[in-house]
Amino acid sequence: MPIRKRVPLLFAVAIALATAAGAPAQTYLDLKDQIQEFTLDNGVHFIVLQKHDVPVFSFRTFVNVGSADEVRGVTGLSHILEHMAFKGTSEIGTTDLSKELKLMAAEDEAFAALKRARGAIEAPLARYELLVARIPADRAEAYRPLEGLLKDPTAEVTMQSADGGPAKVTVARADTEAAKVEEFTLGAEETAAVAWYLAELRSLRADLVAAEEAFAAAKDAARELVVTNEFGKIVENHGGNGLNAYTSSDVTVYHYNMPSNRLEMWAYLEGSRMADPVLREFYTEKDGPVTEERRMRTDNNPIGRMIEQFQNLMFMANGYHHSTIGYMSDIETISRADCQAYYDKHYVGSNMVVTVVGDVKVADVRKYAEKYFKDIPRGKPEPVETREPEQLGEKRFVMKDPSQPLFVAGYHIDNVRHPDWPVYEVIADVLGQGRTSRLYKRLVKEEQIAVQAMTFPGFPGQKYETGLLVFALPVKGKTAVDMEEAIYAEIDRMVADGITAEELEGVKQRARANFVRGLQGNAGMASQLAWYQTLMGDWRELFNEVERLEAVTLDDVKRVAARVFRPANRTVAVIETEDS
Amino acid sequence: MENVKRGLGLLALALLLTGTVTADAEAKKPWEKIRIPELNEIRMPEYRRVELDNGMIVYLAEDHEFPLLELSATIEVGSIYEPADKLGLAEMTGSVMRTGGTTGRDGDAIDELVEARGLAVETWIGQNSGGAYVSALAGDTDLGLELLADILRNPAFPEDKIKLAKEEQKASISRRNDDPMTIAQREAMKAVYGADHPLARHPEYDTIAAVTRDDMLAFHRQWFHPDRMYLVVIGAFDSADMIGRLERVFAGWEPVGTDLPADPEILDLPRTVNIVDKDDLTQSTILLGHKGIRADSPHYAGVMVGNRILGGGFSTRLFNEIRSRQGLAYSVGSSAGTGWRNPGLFMAFTMTKSESSEKATDAILAEIDKMITAEVTDEELAQAKDGILNSEVFNYDTKRKILDRMVMFERFGYPADFLQTYQEQVRTMTKADVLAATQAVWHPDRMTIFAVGNYADWDGDFAKYGPVTMVDITIPEPSLDIPEATPASLEQGMALMKAAREAAGGKRLIAMKSYFEKTKLDATIQGMALTFTTEKTVVYPDRSHTLVKTPFGNQTMVLAGDKAWATGPMGARDLEGDDLANAKEELSSDVVGIFRGLDKLTCQALEPREIEGTACLPVYVTGFGDGYQIFFLDEATKQVRMVQQPGVSPMTQAPVVQKVYVDEYAEMDGLPMPRKLRLMYDDELFGTATVEAWDADPKVDMALFNR
Repeated sequence: MPIRKRVPLLFAVAIALATAAGAPAQTYLDLKDQIQEFTLDNGVHFIVLQKHDVPVFSFRTFVNVGSADEVRGVTGLSHILEHMAFKGTSEIGTTDLSKELKLMAAEDEAFAALKRARGAIEAPLARYELLVARIPADRAEAYRPLEGLLKDPTAEVTMQSADGGPAKVTVARADTEAAKVEEFTLGAEETAAVAWYLAELRSLRADLVAAEEAFAAAKDAARELVVTNEFGKIVENHGGNGLNAYTSSDVTVYHYNMPSNRLEMWAYLEGSRMADPVLREFYTEKDGPVTEERRMRTDNNPIGRMIEQFQNLMFMANGYHHSTIGYMSDIETISRADCQAYYDKHYVGSNMVVTVVGDVKVADVRKYAEKYFKDIPRGKPEPVETREPEQLGEKRFVMKDPSQPLFVAGYHIDNVRHPDWPVYEVIADVLGQGRTSRLYKRLVKEEQIAVQAMTFPGFPGQKYETGLLVFALPVKGKTAVDMEEAIYAEIDRMVADGITAEELEGVKQRARANFVRGLQGNAGMASQLAWYQTLMGDWRELFNEVERLEAVTLDDVKRVAARVFRPANRTVAVIETEDS
Repeated sequence: MENVKRGLGLLALALLLTGTVTADAEAKKPWEKIRIPELNEIRMPEYRRVELDNGMIVYLAEDHEFPLLELSATIEVGSIYEPADKLGLAEMTGSVMRTGGTTGRDGDAIDELVEARGLAVETWIGQNSGGAYVSALAGDTDLGLELLADILRNPAFPEDKIKLAKEEQKASISRRNDDPMTIAQREAMKAVYGADHPLARHPEYDTIAAVTRDDMLAFHRQWFHPDRMYLVVIGAFDSADMIGRLERVFAGWEPVGTDLPADPEILDLPRTVNIVDKDDLTQSTILLGHKGIRADSPHYAGVMVGNRILGGGFSTRLFNEIRSRQGLAYSVGSSAGTGWRNPGLFMAFTMTKSESSEKATDAILAEIDKMITAEVTDEELAQAKDGILNSEVFNYDTKRKILDRMVMFERFGYPADFLQTYQEQVRTMTKADVLAATQAVWHPDRMTIFAVGNYADWDGDFAKYGPVTMVDITIPEPSLDIPEATPASLEQGMALMKAAREAAGGKRLIAMKSYFEKTKLDATIQGMALTFTTEKTVVYPDRSHTLVKTPFGNQTMVLAGDKAWATGPMGARDLEGDDLANAKEELSSDVVGIFRGLDKLTCQALEPREIEGTACLPVYVTGFGDGYQIFFLDEATKQVRMVQQPGVSPMTQAPVVQKVYVDEYAEMDGLPMPRKLRLMYDDELFGTATVEAWDADPKVDMALFNR
């Protein structure tokens, strides 16, 4: 969940600094003029900033797709696809591509067959469970061993029964040592269950086991031709550093840093994995690392568990409804064809921004970009149009959990391109960012009921209608509810009286300083430029935002606070500690 | 394969690698045809190292690209120096230095100033170093310098901010078992270093409560000195001018002039296998590790190269095998085991679903085993070298990184050309060198194993790796602070105890003349599960007969008026003196005895507190002898939830805090009696007891009390 600390702008900074320090000439103030850009025919947009002090460069590839673009049934797919972008291309990661593609097709077929087998058994199995449930309690335990024998595909089962009445079942098994015959005398309920099992379930179950085995064998066969992690190996052998990627609700981002003499090598690697990825080891990756990632971040982490369902509750309709990691059942059932279709739709030139910052020449970047990124199709991605409707009443989620208490409240706000966005930033800053914020002063310093109390706009993303989040941890011995009243009291005070001129000026001054700090470093700059280009439509917005923030008035804060901080616009989630 | 261009200076030389990576002459892969031009020269930034008059070492580098100033101090201090009964002192000192302000500037005023000017000012103390950081716009240079000097030299440590720091510590103690990774990292250190080692131990409620303002003042006085400090200064300034300003703001700060004490020794402990069993988890967090080496060991370069192959990267044996091929984990890897200051830890880690815990652990150990039994391949060695040598430039990509490293080399006694020597060693390394290093430093059979997960769901029994210790991570409750009694608290305490007596049976309990109780105790002593049965007959006012059946024979203890004796497999003996007094005191101080003798006792109500999720009202009871008992009464029912008193460990005879929890009540002989009990010594489970029979006024054979 990367959270951007947004930075405002240059113009005001320049004034502030010129008066304070005497701004140095020829430095960061003309940074904006040093930034160059070009767009390939297919729409991939490149932004380049040359900085020659150290022979390295950083890059960011921003693909304008995130979990908010997923629809029901394929949640988690953006993130799975991000993992697949490390699996190589038709040239990287294979010992024999054409053979491998055939084996991958067989693997897909085996997975489809497995899904069919799982689907086929579902209804008969449910019916069987109902029949088993009707077996009287005093005989249920005796039935279990028989059920175990029925599952043995080598066992021969015969049943003799008067019509619908009690029956005698004989099971003959080819054991390792000697053939074994067992007899069971059954009541009417067990007879019905066994009859159903033999008639409907037994062959379906055998089909399912066979399908599972065939799928495992197909995975093994395809893996034989894979050169494991060859993509990462090449990057690291060439001195690449910080190789990684992340997926959010809004975007998928790829990044690392390289020695600058590897610019062409980088362009080859990055261009080909965007243009020509081969989704090899797909099933192992999603059932293994991706699922373990979900277990780590969400299922086995109390805050992870809570935030996922908080998000489910707060957003009813738009793409922020589900988490980026996705539901476990979707991760299990997504197929490679789903993933390929998603890639084909979203990984297109018009959806990609690449920024390169460091010891490079823009002419070289253009030359290699044209060579290695040209095969990406232009595409015409259509975003999901579902908008978040207005919330009509307060929502509340109480999670009883063995972990310590926690309070979260979310208020619906507009997206980052809305004119009121800077006002949301001011409100969040004054309310809950830093040691002088109102929530910190009241809950932590004065009342001493919290150890942390903070607010930020843009959960879980910024591209669509989103949330302004209040997050607080109580001191030992206090509960989430103990803090709630004080939090609302501070919010109500802001609605009633707004903020002070000093507070507003403080926000602006911090933003100016943070803006300058944010310009340092290749990686940070590459990231900011790509973010503004992707989310705001133009990287220049990085340098334009100061006016937006400077324009915020005390009246704006009052107006927007009154609109946002209504109980009906609020979703609350708390953890109540309970022994496991 | 590597052509080295000579003549451009040492640094450039190390980095000017041309040529291809692991070129294969037969069939070049498409990317192997890409030309790699020479790397542009790495220009070492200009910097200065000066020692101020007071002994402070300062590294300065000018950077005029941005109008910023960054000050970063490293101080020779740490939690390794704090006393064992005041754990948390160092960390809290580090935080209150900042939040509490100075003798001349209120902490809240500093907050306001910092936020209003867009500064960043922080201080902290870690395990074996402390730090202070200031970032300011260049226009606030003097303000930044003054704040830094003032905070380092004159912290005020006001009580209100100390209380805040304590609340923060308490909250973090209470939350420390919420996340499995936090548990594993904390507890694994205790398994590897030893639980009381300064690099492993951690604060508890009691050690936090024990810290006073005087402790902080003294700790600060003891450890903060200019000649124990290194300062890195980077930004838009003139160096000569900056040095003058630094001399001025730190003038008059006296050096201490003595050497640091030696670091605590790190022992090479044999393997232990440790498990935290948490039944709400679906994923196991597994750490393996043992003591490693310092970076000045001759095997440093060898294990760094070895780890680049084993598990230190995106395409390593562990990553390829456990993550990509077997699909067992998202997170898997290893660290070489080198440390700059102390020997590091050779470690491997993963997180995997419960059902593959053993499989993943086996796979990790097998991969490590391969590293010490066979040479790596030519291709692996070449790639590891390429990776290290080609990424060397990233050691020099920011001024901060370069100067911080110089400070580190100077602090821990490494030569300034350490990295160049290392590069050269890597360049000439052979497969045999790697094997020699991994064999010398890595010992998979000695790696201590630490795992957090739902043990019942695991695919294997970890006893195969060695005797398993189940680690109890229950957070010790704070000891009670008993305030001075007041008439009100005494009155309230007596009323509560009377209510508790009512809840326990009231009049019938007081009126009964005798009772019989049979209890079964299941305990684990030195790894053995043992069962004891106790049959106790009490005849008021002064007789009791206790028969304890143990696996080693029966023991009987009898009190009959002014005489007492004990018989056992070893024979019989009279109880006299203290033993006799104890036997008599027990009669009046067990729960029934306390309720019967309430009028003669002192009962003081204490602050309400939660006991295992139940809101309780504690009462501090004295007057039955030397000891005390604290009755924790369920706020809702007034029944006894727990009784705490001083005790003696049955194993070591050491004094302990004994707590008896009542887990279940049942009606016995018409009275609501505790049926299931839990005995804890110093918050560690000793055993569970079940009351199997209880009779009020039974028929008693008085011959029991005859010798």
